[in-house]
Amino acid sequence: MGLFDNFDPTLAAHDLVQDLKWDPELRQQFEKDEGSVLDRYALRPAERQAIEQRDFRKLYDLGFHPYLGGQLARLIYGNDVDGAIRAVNKLVSSLTGKS
Amino acid sequence: MAELVYAAGIPHAPTLVGLFSRAPAEVQKVVRDSCDALVQELDAARPDVLIVFANDHLTNSRISAYPDFLIGMAAEHSGPHEWFKPWIGCRDYSAKGDTAVAEALFRGMTKRGIRMNAERKNLNFDDNISVPTVLMDLDKRPVRVVPVLQNTTVPPYPDQRRCYAVGQALAELIRDDLPAGLRVGLIGSGGLSHEPGGSRYYFIDEEFDRWFLDLCCSGDHRRLLDELTIDRMEAAGSGGTSELLAWVVVMGAIGERPGRSFGYAIHKEFRCGIGAVSWSVNGHVAGRG
Repeated sequence: MGLFDNFDPTLAAHDLVQDLKWDPELRQQFEKDEGSVLDRYALRPAERQAIEQRDFRKLYDLGFHPYLGGQLARLIYGNDVDGAIRAVNKLVSSLTGKS
Repeated sequence: MAELVYAAGIPHAPTLVGLFSRAPAEVQKVVRDSCDALVQELDAARPDVLIVFANDHLTNSRISAYPDFLIGMAAEHSGPHEWFKPWIGCRDYSAKGDTAVAEALFRGMTKRGIRMNAERKNLNFDDNISVPTVLMDLDKRPVRVVPVLQNTTVPPYPDQRRCYAVGQALAELIRDDLPAGLRVGLIGSGGLSHEPGGSRYYFIDEEFDRWFLDLCCSGDHRRLLDELTIDRMEAAGSGGTSELLAWVVVMGAIGERPGRSFGYAIHKEFRCGIGAVSWSVNGHVAGRG
């Protein structure tokens, strides 16, 4: 199955990741109190749960865009050169069921 | 009648900057040799303006309103965007823009039935523009840059035939709409095979990459359009390999002509196949094969 077979452009999580990239203050809040940031978005229950559980497989199955998945992993696990390696490994582990 | 004087396809993997020093010597050599050759050719071609087609990594627009092509019309293009800077690990830059050429591009594409969007403010640049700019020091050279950010990952997006047609329209526009004597260069920025965000994040399709580079050098555009399908690019790395559609725009603009490759490098930690091609177009009148 291709990465885009389930793609659902209506997921609110897409806007969440975009806003986190564009807004440093929102990023800080996300780091301190993730739940309060998630509250701002019309996330479906399964969508929110997948984010909270760092379950990228579930998020992709719901239709999340994989490129934003890579960026969400960096927002969570690290966004510098080495943090990105950590993020990639965490993401791949989740997607392959090896986490 | 403006003149096409330079055309190249180059990768923009952020790891080419951030992880370059950790790569094996033979991989570094391919990157260095490619950059050196591209820069030498650029300096010899002396373009006044470089139009750079490069995919947007969902950095400027929401998925709910995602443009297929977004022209940067600012007088200066500064980057990288704040969030992408530590990831790329590159220096700040501010490249000269060309608002008049950007406006002519927007106007001319609209006139030719090709929907493009345009933005006067500085766009958010990730690796798409930032990596070629710092690797080739475009901001330090006497050339103006017009970035065109392209959708190659939010379905549905323009396929190889549409991108080639955009390139053909671009050639006509350069010939008929841009000022006489203006020297124009084209860069397609993206690729080679990679799968950002997918379970095959570390997968690099060497067979595909070598096939693609050979095809670019062959100048056989009928085969290019028949075989470089979205399905084939997806198989070689979902969501990332299709960045090569930016190269297809350039090939549409220059018409069938042989290219020159500068080698190929595969390094797992780069998470992307590495190779570049340039095409000899010096003196070529845009849109006349």
